[in-house]
Amino acid sequence: MKSEDQRLTREQVGSIVKMLGLTTDREFNCGECLQHVSEFAESQLAHQPVGEVIAGVEQHLALCPECREEYEALMKILKAGL
Amino acid sequence: MTPTEINWPAALRAADSAEQAAAVNELRAVLLNGLRIAFSGRGDVSEAHLEDFAQESLLRVLDRLDQFQGRSRFTTWAQAIALNVAFAELRRKRWRDVSLDALLADGGRFADPAVIADDALGADEDRTRLVAALRHAIENGLTPKQRAAMLGELREMPFDQIVELLGTSRSAAYKMLHDARRALKQRLHEAGITGADIHNAFNL
Repeated sequence: MKSEDQRLTREQVGSIVKMLGLTTDREFNCGECLQHVSEFAESQLAHQPVGEVIAGVEQHLALCPECREEYEALMKILKAGL
Repeated sequence: MTPTEINWPAALRAADSAEQAAAVNELRAVLLNGLRIAFSGRGDVSEAHLEDFAQESLLRVLDRLDQFQGRSRFTTWAQAIALNVAFAELRRKRWRDVSLDALLADGGRFADPAVIADDALGADEDRTRLVAALRHAIENGLTPKQRAAMLGELREMPFDQIVELLGTSRSAAYKMLHDARRALKQRLHEAGITGADIHNAFNL
């Protein structure tokens, strides 16, 4: 890592603090999120309330940028009618 | 018959090999269409990439067929897997030359002011106090691997690559990061910074 690349941006440092604010004792991991994200996405698209089981998806998406990126791409596909 | 009308799990398990082959081909086309939509407008993803992703995704979906629980449409479930496969591959390419030594060395500097500047969140007293407490917590509350994994994640290193470099499993790596966040949160709490302070400061 080059020295000029080392410094974290304000957004990156802010994201650490935000993640700590959202951290709970029991969380979905990425695998659990993937297992339930299709159900969560369809609920969101239909404006249906999120059930207790898949509420963990929403919290995981707030913490995990990779799963968030994949969820947003899934919503793009669903909104296109596929 | 449209993709939403097909009983996919049954068709993909059909004893009739012609019926099964037709379902596999149809699913591959559905996945490819979805990937085209998801990656439209991205210059770094070619049609050949999409074809490869669709093929690899198809194999992954077939391998996990028993995990489909019917709580969403089958195609939505399969598209989620396809996106996971495709994004993982794209992220891996970007970071493929990073070594474990480089990751650990970078993590060793995590709490350094050169990485997290005093005014990283702003110059007011509350925020500089928060940054100082955060640096202290990172330095004293995390293991070298936790520091490396967390900083790697912040720099957008793919989670799969962090897992691979650390020589662990995905679930163990996720637990490592979860434990790291809980440890930092506890350290901040001990420094008088509560979850409510963080929520208020960032309008969470």
